[in-house]
Amino acid sequence: MDKKTVSTIAYLSRLSLNEENEDKITEDLKNIIKFVDQLDGADTNNIEPLANPLEKTAKTRTDNVTAKNRKEVFLERSPKSNEDYFLVPRVVE
Amino acid sequence: MSIQYKSIKELKNMLNDKDISHTELVQETFLNIKNNSALNAFITLNEEESLKKANNLDNTPSSGSLAGVPIAQKDLFCTKDLKTTCGSNMLSNFIPPYSATVIENLENAGCISVGKTNMDEFAMGSSNETSFYGNVQNPWGKNLVPGGSSGGSAAAVAAGIVPAASGTDTGGSIRQPASLCGISGLKPTYGRVSRWGMIAFASSLDQAGPMARTAEDCALLLNEMCSHDEKDTTSIDEAIPDFTENLNSSIQGLKIGLVKEFDLSKLDNDVVQVFEESKKHYESLGAEFIEISLPNISLSVPTYYVVAPAECSSNLSRFDGVKFGKRCDSPKDLEELYIKTRSEGFGDEVKRRILIGSYVLSAGFYDAYYKKAQQVRRLIKNDFDSAFKSVDIIMSPTTRGAAFEAGSKGDDPIQMYLEDLFTIPANLAGLPAMSIPNGMIDNKPIGLQLIGNFLDESRLLQAAHNFQISSDWHLKTPSGNKS
Amino acid sequence: MSWETVIGLEIHVQLSTDSKLFSGGSTSFGAEPNTHVDLIDLGLPGVLPVANRGAFHKAIRFGLATNAEINQTSTFDRKNYFYPDLPKGYQITQMALPIVGKGSIKIEVEGQEKIINITRAHLEEDAGKSIHDLFDGETGVDLNRAGTPLLEIVSEPEISNAKEAVAYFKAIRQIVTFLDICDGNMAQGSMRCDVNVSVKKSDAAELGTRAEIKNINSFKFIEKAINFEIDRQIRILEAGDSIIQETRLYDSVKNETRSMRSKEEANDYRYFPCPDLLPVVISDEELIEIKNNLPELPDEKEKRYVKEFGLDSSEAKIIASSKTMANMFEGACAKTDDSKLVANWLVGDISALLNKENIDIDESNLTSENFATLIERISDKTISGKIAKSVLEEIWETGSDVDDIIESKGLVQIQDESLLETIAQTVIDNNPSQVDAFKGGKDKLFGFFVGQVMKETQGKANPQSVNEILKRLLS
Ligand SMILES: [Mg+2]
Ligand SMILES: [Zn+2]
Repeated sequence: MDKKTVSTIAYLSRLSLNEENEDKITEDLKNIIKFVDQLDGADTNNIEPLANPLEKTAKTRTDNVTAKNRKEVFLERSPKSNEDYFLVPRVVE
Repeated sequence: MSIQYKSIKELKNMLNDKDISHTELVQETFLNIKNNSALNAFITLNEEESLKKANNLDNTPSSGSLAGVPIAQKDLFCTKDLKTTCGSNMLSNFIPPYSATVIENLENAGCISVGKTNMDEFAMGSSNETSFYGNVQNPWGKNLVPGGSSGGSAAAVAAGIVPAASGTDTGGSIRQPASLCGISGLKPTYGRVSRWGMIAFASSLDQAGPMARTAEDCALLLNEMCSHDEKDTTSIDEAIPDFTENLNSSIQGLKIGLVKEFDLSKLDNDVVQVFEESKKHYESLGAEFIEISLPNISLSVPTYYVVAPAECSSNLSRFDGVKFGKRCDSPKDLEELYIKTRSEGFGDEVKRRILIGSYVLSAGFYDAYYKKAQQVRRLIKNDFDSAFKSVDIIMSPTTRGAAFEAGSKGDDPIQMYLEDLFTIPANLAGLPAMSIPNGMIDNKPIGLQLIGNFLDESRLLQAAHNFQISSDWHLKTPSGNKS
Repeated sequence: MSWETVIGLEIHVQLSTDSKLFSGGSTSFGAEPNTHVDLIDLGLPGVLPVANRGAFHKAIRFGLATNAEINQTSTFDRKNYFYPDLPKGYQITQMALPIVGKGSIKIEVEGQEKIINITRAHLEEDAGKSIHDLFDGETGVDLNRAGTPLLEIVSEPEISNAKEAVAYFKAIRQIVTFLDICDGNMAQGSMRCDVNVSVKKSDAAELGTRAEIKNINSFKFIEKAINFEIDRQIRILEAGDSIIQETRLYDSVKNETRSMRSKEEANDYRYFPCPDLLPVVISDEELIEIKNNLPELPDEKEKRYVKEFGLDSSEAKIIASSKTMANMFEGACAKTDDSKLVANWLVGDISALLNKENIDIDESNLTSENFATLIERISDKTISGKIAKSVLEEIWETGSDVDDIIESKGLVQIQDESLLETIAQTVIDNNPSQVDAFKGGKDKLFGFFVGQVMKETQGKANPQSVNEILKRLLS
C-alpha cells in the first residue's frame, strides 16, 4: 500500500484526497491492511466462503408490474433535471 | 407529572389512566428535547406531525400496542416526507418518498416518531464523532462520547427524553452505545427485522433493533419492529413469537457460556470486577456457567474490517450526485461531478472505509482479503454453532470500558475499531445479542453483553429481564437513581 | 503463412418479461422518459432488489433449447463502476454461478453445418439510456430501461469469420424468438452484441491478443465491423507491431472501429457476491415443468412439416426457420387442405415481396385467414394463379378481403367453355398467317394464341380450358 495504490483506489472510488490528508490516509490504510493481514494465519483450506449469515435460498417475485409512474417525485429530488431527464455534464463517448 | 425516564409501560399506564393526554405527552417530550439540545441527540425534529398524531389519538383512541408512545428514530431509517441524512452531508437535503419497513411497523403500532437521531456518518464509527451534524454528548458527563453509531438514540433514551429509540447494529452500533449510555439495546438475529428502507452500510451485517431503558421495553418494541417483509428477501419467513411472553419465567438452570478466548485480564480491573459481580448475580438466579471455546473469535475484528468496508464501498456508490442527495457546485465534467460530490459529501471515516473496501475487492487482492475474510467468517460462525450445542447464551462485557472522552482515541482508527471487539462476532455470525447496564465505573455506566442462538431473542430478553427485576443498574440515571 | 481469425460473441438478449429483473417496474419499450422507474431502479438509499422468477424461467428455456447445463442454484454478484445511467454504481449480474452453463448451437454457412459451443448464459440487469445530443452541454439520463432483464450469452472463441459470426447471431435470434423469451427486435435494442476478435498465424498454438468491439446491433454491422477489425489487426501485425487488448467502438458511418481506451482506463470492476440477494434455487419439478412446456423449435418443425404436410425438405426448412413464417403456414393450413400450395406461395411470391420490402411477415397486411382463402380460391378454380398474384398484391397494399377483391374487380375465372371457344375461334380467324406458320411446324406459336385469348379475357380465362380448346381448334 503506497501513495500510488491509494490514488488508484481513490480513483476507482471516485474520491479525491487533498494534500493534507493524503499522507495520513495512506498511513491509516497501511496500518489497517497490516491489521487485517492477521487473517493470513487462519487455516481456511476447503472452507466455503460465507457471504451471508442466512444460509437460506432467496424468495423471488412472480413477473408482475407493480410500479406506477413517479417521474415527478423522482426528478424533483434530483440535483439537476428538466421535465423528463436527470441531467449531468455532457458525456463524450 | 414528569414523564422523564418513564418506561413505555409506565407511559401507557399514564395515558390509559388519563393522567396525561397524548398531546401533553408529545408537548412534554418536545420540551425535554429542547431542554437537552446541548446533547445534540437529534438531527431533525418532527414536531408538527407528532402533535397532529397525538391530537388524533386524543380524539380517536387507538388499540395499537404502542399508541401514543414517543419514539426517536435513528436517522438511518428512511422516513417518508421527513429529511433523512444518515449523519452525512451527502444526504443533507434528502427527503425520501418512502418509509423503512421498521418505521412503518412501529408507526402502525401507534408510536409517534418525534424526530431523527444523530449518528456516526453512514453508521461508521463508535463514538458519534464522525457525524456531519456534530458530536453527540453522553448525558452521563460533559465531553463523554455516547458511543456509536446509534449515539443519538442512546443519548435520547439515557437522558430520559424518550422511553425508546430505534437503532441499527452492524458491528455493535446498538450495544456499544447502550453500554456507554447505561440503557438496554438489542440487536436481533440477522433477518429478523426487515432492512427495507434502512440505508445500507454493510448489507450482510446490518440489523435494526430496539433501544430502551429496560429489556421489557425492548421486547415490546421488538414485537412491533419484526415482520416478514417481501421487499427484503433476507428477511426471515418464520413465526414471530410474543417476545414478552417468557420474560418473567425463571432462568433456573440456564447455561451461560464464557468465552475462553476473551482475555479479560487485558481490561481494567474495574471492568473485570463489574463483570464478575454480574456472574455472581446470575448464579444467584440459578444460572450455571460453562467455559466455551471460540477458536477463531480473535479474528473477528480483522474479518469485519474486510467484509464491512467491501460491502460499504459498493453500497455507497449510489451517492454520486446524479439522482438524489447533494451535488457539488458547477462541475466542469462528469468526472469532476463524481469526485467533487463524493469528496465533499463524505467525511474522512467514510472515505477511509470506502478506500479499504475498494482495495480488498480489487484485482489481485480479492482472494487474499475478501475471500479469505469470508472463509474466516464461516469459521467464526461454525465456532458459535458448536458452542450453542452446550450453552443457551454467551456472556461477555459489551465494551472494553465505560464512556471515553471525545477525541481521546487519538488519530489511530484501529484503536477505535477495537472498541467493538466484543460486539462484532455476533454480527458476523448473524446472531442476536443485547447489552444491559450492569455496573458503574467512575460514575459512568457500563454494559453486559448476552449473545443468543439463532432466532432466540426471547431467551436473551428473559435473561435480561430476570437480571433487571433483581437489580437496579438499569434504573440509574445521570441525575440520580430513578424514583 | 496465412492468418487465422478467432471470434467470440457476447450477445445481450433482452428477456421479454413484463417487469424488471429486480423490481415491479414495467419493461415496455417506447414510454416517456423516466416513467417506468421504480424506487429500486433508481437505486434510492435503503431499497432492496427482489429477483423476478419469470426471468429465470426464460433463461432456463434458452438453456434447455441449447442442451446446456442448468445450474439449479445460481447466485448474483455486483460489478462496480460509475456511469450516469447505472443508478446504483454497480450492475447486478451473475459472475460466479450463472443460471445457464455450457451448451451449444448449430449454425449453417453456405450449406455447411458447424457447432458453436456456448460457454455460459447469465442473468443481469440492463442500464438506463444516456441521451447525449438533446441538450446543450448536458447529457440526459432516462432510467426506463434500467433493470430490464438481460440474458448475456457468451460463446466460446470458435467462430472463424464474419459470416459465421452473423450465422451464429442469427441462430441465437431464431432460438430466442421461437422460445418466446425475446422479441428479437434489433432496432429497439432487444439484442445487442459484443464481438471479441483476434488473429493469429495459422500454425500458432496460442490465441492472439483480442480487441472487443462493443454494442453492435445489426447483422450488417457485425459483418462489417469484424472484417474491418481483422484487416486492422493483420495490418498491424504484418507491420511488426502488436495488438493492444482494448475495447473498441464500431462507427457505422465511417465503417471503422476505434479505441474507447479512455473509458476503460483503470477499470477494475471489483466483482463480489451481492449481499442483498441469497442464492436462487430452481427445483427439479420446476425444471421439468419448463422442459415440458418448451415450444417446438425449427428443427422439429421442419421434420414435422415434411411428415405431416408432405412438404419437401428445402421448403420445410425455409418456412420453419422463421417463427412468424411458421405461424403463418400453420395458421393457413388449419383453414385449408392444400398445404403444399400454401408452402409454394410462402416460399415463392410471399417471400419475394417480404424480401423486397425487407419486412417480417407479421408486419405485412397478410393474415392467415386471408391467405387461406386465397389458396382456397386457387384450388376451387375461382381465380387462376396469375390472377392470384394480383390479388396478393392488392392484399399487400390494402389488406382487403380476398373475396371482396375478386368480386369488386370482377376477377372470377371464365369457365364457360362455349364462350372461351367463341373467343378462341375469333383469335384464329384474325391471325391467318400465324395459323399457317403454326400448322407448318412452328409449335412455339401455340403460346401466342394462348396469350391472345388471355388478353381478350383480361387474364380471367381458365388456362387449362384455353389450352384444350386451342389444341382442338388448331389441329
Ligand atoms: Mg460482457
Ligand atoms: Zn453483460
